[in-house]
Amino acid sequence: MFDNVVESIFSAAFLASILRVTTPILLPSLGALISDRAGVINIGLEGMMLVSAFVGVLFSAYSQDWFGPETGAVIGPWIGMAMGVIAAMLTALLLAFFHLTLRANLILSGVAINFLGSAATVAVMFELTGDRGNTSTLASLQMPFVQLPTFIESIPVIGPFLYGTFNNQNIMTWIAFIAVAVVSFVLYRTAAGYHLRAVGENPAAAESVGIPVKRVQYRALVISGLFAGLGGIHMSMGYLSLFQRDMTAGRGFIALATPLLGGGTPVGTSLASVVFGFFESLAIRIGSLSIPPQLPQMVPYVATVMALVIYALQGRLRARVRTLRASEGENFDRRYWGTIQQLSVLHMLLMMPAVVGLIISVSMFFVPKGFGGIEAAYPPALVIAIISVILFGIGLPFVLKVERISEKAILSAVVVTISLGALVALLLTLFYEPIVAIVIGLIFAVIIWLLLGGWRLLGTRQAIPAPA
Amino acid sequence: MSKESPRRSSVLWLFGLAIAIIVTFLTSYEVFGGSLEAMQETPSWPAVLFVNALVGISVALFVVELKRDALRVLMTVGLALLLGYFVTVIFNMDAASRFSSGDFTVQLISDSEPVDNDNTDIEYGRQRGGEFNQPNAAEPLTEATYTFEGQAGDVVTIVALAANRRSEVDMQVALLDPDGTILAEADSISADIVEAETYEDVRRETDALIENFELLQDGIYTIQASPEDVPFSTTMSEALNQTNVAYEAFLLGPLSRVNRWGVWIQDALTLILLGVAFAIVFRAEQFSLGAEGQLYFGALVSGAIGLWLTDLPPIIVLPMAVGGSMVAGFLWGLLPGALKAYLGANELVSTLMLNTIAIKFYELTLTYQLKPDDAGYIASDYVADAAQMAPIVEGTQVTVAVFMVVIVVLAAWLLVRRTPLGYEIRIIGSNIRFADYGGINTKRTIMLAMAISGIVAGMAGAHLALGIHRRLITNISFALAFEGVVVALLARNNVLVSPFTGLLYAYLRAGAQFMERDANVSFEVVRIIQSVIILLITAEAIASFFRQRRIRRRGQVVEDESSPPPALAADASST
Repeated sequence: MFDNVVESIFSAAFLASILRVTTPILLPSLGALISDRAGVINIGLEGMMLVSAFVGVLFSAYSQDWFGPETGAVIGPWIGMAMGVIAAMLTALLLAFFHLTLRANLILSGVAINFLGSAATVAVMFELTGDRGNTSTLASLQMPFVQLPTFIESIPVIGPFLYGTFNNQNIMTWIAFIAVAVVSFVLYRTAAGYHLRAVGENPAAAESVGIPVKRVQYRALVISGLFAGLGGIHMSMGYLSLFQRDMTAGRGFIALATPLLGGGTPVGTSLASVVFGFFESLAIRIGSLSIPPQLPQMVPYVATVMALVIYALQGRLRARVRTLRASEGENFDRRYWGTIQQLSVLHMLLMMPAVVGLIISVSMFFVPKGFGGIEAAYPPALVIAIISVILFGIGLPFVLKVERISEKAILSAVVVTISLGALVALLLTLFYEPIVAIVIGLIFAVIIWLLLGGWRLLGTRQAIPAPA
Repeated sequence: MSKESPRRSSVLWLFGLAIAIIVTFLTSYEVFGGSLEAMQETPSWPAVLFVNALVGISVALFVVELKRDALRVLMTVGLALLLGYFVTVIFNMDAASRFSSGDFTVQLISDSEPVDNDNTDIEYGRQRGGEFNQPNAAEPLTEATYTFEGQAGDVVTIVALAANRRSEVDMQVALLDPDGTILAEADSISADIVEAETYEDVRRETDALIENFELLQDGIYTIQASPEDVPFSTTMSEALNQTNVAYEAFLLGPLSRVNRWGVWIQDALTLILLGVAFAIVFRAEQFSLGAEGQLYFGALVSGAIGLWLTDLPPIIVLPMAVGGSMVAGFLWGLLPGALKAYLGANELVSTLMLNTIAIKFYELTLTYQLKPDDAGYIASDYVADAAQMAPIVEGTQVTVAVFMVVIVVLAAWLLVRRTPLGYEIRIIGSNIRFADYGGINTKRTIMLAMAISGIVAGMAGAHLALGIHRRLITNISFALAFEGVVVALLARNNVLVSPFTGLLYAYLRAGAQFMERDANVSFEVVRIIQSVIILLITAEAIASFFRQRRIRRRGQVVEDESSPPPALAADASST
């Protein structure tokens, strides 16, 4: 059973499905990233996605009436996309107007925008089609699917894999990944991006050097509406070919978390989106096995909560390092501190499997029927619970107090070795004998710890200032 | 508020008392249709009166607590309702289309001998029909033409009419000679002929009749039947009429019958609890939206206890089940509270994520553990009778939860206004730096505020599981939790006001249900109204915005003097 899952994970079809599922998370995530970096977090992404998904379907369906079936079929999807995205941007403008000009609370007006998007689409759909569930009566169109030239398949070794993954993807998926590059460029290489980041970092300071804060934030919100709109178009005109009520199903909320999970950079955000896409596809795959699909569906949300904690703790650590650098000047040991930061991230990441393990074991304890009855479920649940609690217990002190990494460097190495080693070993048991797997896993873990700079901690110990 | 003179405050209280009595009387009057006999025939009418008295008290509290602000809240709701009215009018613009669509029949009557001709559509003594402008048709029929063969001297009568009682199509008909020139036209039937029932199927004056027309030559004649063009004035008046019908159902529907009244009150109980839950966290300026997840866990735990303890008396089971939901809500609120307070994790995103985790866990447990094996759909058995909240009004789901809600509101009020913890919550809400400086343990207080809010949200879950549905179903909250945000906002995060705003909002929701049922206007209109309410009520600068524009138009102010400070984002990312 487990082998099956692993086998299908390493298939091109699975990677293709990850890309498909990632797109409607990635696009609004870029929107969330931009609004986040400008200091005006856009809670209304979900509503904007719904608006554009619905408007896109509507216009693509009607364009066939306007331009005739043949012309309509070609330009209809693009008209739908344009109108959908414009509608989403207007919704974003409404949010911006209420927050920036009328000084409404950003979060609550974002919630209102979500209500509005969900309600208005259903109400208008009911009026136009008489159906409150979906628009199946409208002959709406899909965005084109991109076919790769077949010579790619004949490239030796990786050819079939590349072809299987990237062929027949919707054009919105390509747009999404191109958008990551564009956003990176704009954010880090243009004056507009620089202003945007400055405004998000410290609006008062940005104002004082003459950056028009309000205008930048207006622009950021509208652009985040654009990306939410593109995501909505993919939902109703790529992933599916109709609009369903509330079809975004919380993707707009997930998109709020991915920039935090991805460290606030476009590339990190897209990786975080892929993580979500991976777990969602996994949940779809795993549905055919005897594991309840809700369990893998929970994992990305747990990961996001953990990522929030990591992000917050890292922020604190960075602040402490900054004050230390300011006070020590020449004597500041940059490498030593880099090591501490890297190791603390590693410790936090290693907590994640422990938390997931705890959730799995709790689920197995409370829902034994879902895992083949009490006899089948409780023993493994107990084992998973014990291991998770131990991993959690030994990791927690290092997460809560980074001082411990420096004070008890050897212990840190041991904890990393056990936690990471166990994980790697678990994966390797698929290919090797258990004993070999464990040995390789442990060695691998030690090497990682040393590579991250752990060897620097083994010599001299440096005093760490108290938290600010 | 303590600066007021005692006399003024007692006037206020008297005013409040008067309002309470008036509201109690009016709601009871409406529910019982204004007759005392009807009241006494209604089972458990004293309980209805009791609940109405509580409604009256809620209104009074709203006025007494908010004073001037109460006016602003009411104006906002009124404005949003007005906007909803316009939306409904737009949606009803097609109301007049019933005059241009529907089943129709064309009858051709003549005493002459019919000519047999297979190439024509109709002959004397026959009728044809169809449906004009069928909704969702690919190519809707807008005009019907029928040919018949006539001979010189034939006297024909043509009736074009709506085919059945459901169809209200307004017909017009024309007779064309073989060359295509119009010989006769008609778009109505005189009232006398309708009343005399000369033609048996004619029911309305809007049907069309060409009577006793003598044909002058032989040949193929054509009958053209089509719906009359609807003038714009009719379109508008129909839209307004329909909207008025809809709004009457919307605004008075919940008070029209006792069972409808029950729908309103039972919905309000849940919303009041959620409103109180949100009011507590919002008081501490924490944007925690975790009530949804806490509600699910509360429902899950209380429902599980209700399914499990079947043999114990209600006096033990019900408190245990509700207590279980409180503990579950507390813990699920404590978690994001601790993450926020001690680790600095953004509470908005973390609660949204925890909501989904809770919902997934709820679905997991329900689907695989609590659902009986033979059940065809995903729902648990009904909980034990002992665990069900007993109705106090027969035929409705207005249960003993009424008392629970009263206690919760009073307890929350005591907590916020009369305890040190409540004081700390309020200080943190108004200025967290000052609170820190003043020696308040802000971390602990933030965590507790979120956890206590979770208790109340968990109880809302218990109310859904044990009071309303009496079992666990999927999607038990029906996205109600977010609507609690509106309740808390309208109440200005004041727990004593949230009973009123909860009742008000539940009234709108119940009204929207009846509007959909009675007038076929989508329920979603009320959710549009709701989003407008949130936007307007949180828009602090809305008054000054309009004032400023007026001044600028007059040209009295050259420079925009009060450009708001740039630190706008501070409230959003105050992590």
